[in-house]
Amino acid sequence: MMISPRELIDGYFDDVLTADQQEILSDWIKLDPEHARLFAHATLLHDRLRNALAIGESSAVIDQSASIKMPRAWLESSLLTTTLGRTAVAATVLIVGLATMWFNFGTPTASAAFRELDRIIVNSLRSKDRTYEIVVEDIATERRAKRSPRPEMQRPPKPPLDGATLYVRSGNQFVLLRKTLEGLPFVTGSNGQQSWAINARGPVRISSDIHHFDHDLPGHETSIPLTNLHEGLQQLKRAYDLTFSALGPEEYLAEDGHEARLLVAVKKPKARGPQRVEIVYDLNSGGILNMRFVQMPYGPDRLDLRLSLISEEELPSDFFDHTSHHVPDRKIEMENGR
Amino acid sequence: MDEQFQQAIRYWTLAQPVVSAYVASVVRDFRDRDDVLQAISVAVLESFSSYDPARPFTAWAIGIARNQIGTYLRERKRNRLVFGAETIDMLAVAFEQIEPEQTRQLDFLQECLAKLERRARQLCDLRYRNDLMPADIASVLDMTPNTVAKALQRIRDQLRQCVERHAALDGGQT
Repeated sequence: MMISPRELIDGYFDDVLTADQQEILSDWIKLDPEHARLFAHATLLHDRLRNALAIGESSAVIDQSASIKMPRAWLESSLLTTTLGRTAVAATVLIVGLATMWFNFGTPTASAAFRELDRIIVNSLRSKDRTYEIVVEDIATERRAKRSPRPEMQRPPKPPLDGATLYVRSGNQFVLLRKTLEGLPFVTGSNGQQSWAINARGPVRISSDIHHFDHDLPGHETSIPLTNLHEGLQQLKRAYDLTFSALGPEEYLAEDGHEARLLVAVKKPKARGPQRVEIVYDLNSGGILNMRFVQMPYGPDRLDLRLSLISEEELPSDFFDHTSHHVPDRKIEMENGR
Repeated sequence: MDEQFQQAIRYWTLAQPVVSAYVASVVRDFRDRDDVLQAISVAVLESFSSYDPARPFTAWAIGIARNQIGTYLRERKRNRLVFGAETIDMLAVAFEQIEPEQTRQLDFLQECLAKLERRARQLCDLRYRNDLMPADIASVLDMTPNTVAKALQRIRDQLRQCVERHAALDGGQT
């Protein structure tokens, strides 16, 4: 079948050409300088798309300049040691750091670990239902003294996360089942179009802002929301150093017949979020078996908490609608989005 | 700050989009591209004192890029280049000849991305933000890899036409 040069070029970018087609493309480029120019022009768009989407995403949260390590050769170069003083060296490193941040360069040694994380991300995007149990392992409170608000200003305590059950589906859909301190159920969720909260008392609250009821959960301020694992994994790519190496994995585990592997993400300086995230995942599928967040900011507290996969059974199609979690005659109250 | 260094940064900032695209034309993996580009930026700034201002800066930087690509692939024992030396040379010349207005056109890309339909934007995000290839995207969206590849081709065509349209309008207004 004949394939047009445009199709060959696009196929090359997406790595879908056969060896023969790659050769045809190479011959086509060599045939005429105009062909090479067309290819170059197409690559400009392809390359800029990557920069536009990846940089657009990463510019929001972190200051990567702090984590850029200048190669030894650069610091030893004659340009620096002979013509510039110490101040200039510092300024130079800063400028290069900023420029590097601007160009969104990656860390050379982390490529393999990033690819492994990508596999986990791909798996998290699949439209498969998963149920996790949340266990809070430790709570540390910042020592600085805080003035207690007046009793009438005090908000009701947040329902504890320890022992909560989290159901997730792709497309920003989740249900988080907690119990209040009185032992009553408190359910929050989203079906990807609206979010909702159901307390044992009072009306069912609904919002068109799918993050409206996330505010009492750790992680939403640092782009690692517990209720959207995919978004959290993307944040690990941006703001964390991954210590896993495909050639020398840190640890192999075996749980329930799964051959599992441990990937450790350590927060970069100046980034926000938990100090460390440990992901145990299925080696074959890339599916997350459990995640442990160490020193996760949560108001004045720092939590160590673990999400453990307890089921991958398919949930009913309407499970993420609020109507599946309360009796039909409950009063409904719409709340404004942010 | 040293005037020479400021000059190097200025030149590199202008040349970087073309050099980046040149690297992407032969090194398809984006993270490899990022790694190579980082090495190139350091090499360019290190050796700027040997740059002859009578030559076009972009052509000089692409020469450095060629060496860095080779070094990078050798160090990592990778041989993933599809093109032979002759094709890579042809491409180097083609990239050297890219006019600044061609790269400036792409400044309209964000506006054009914002106009994409939801499904097209989702495909773009998976391909470029998540760095997934059509086979992986297909498994996520329950499509065939071929359909994904065709859709990506259509989206790039659409974006290309959009930035050209914006550039033409912008040119008409100035």
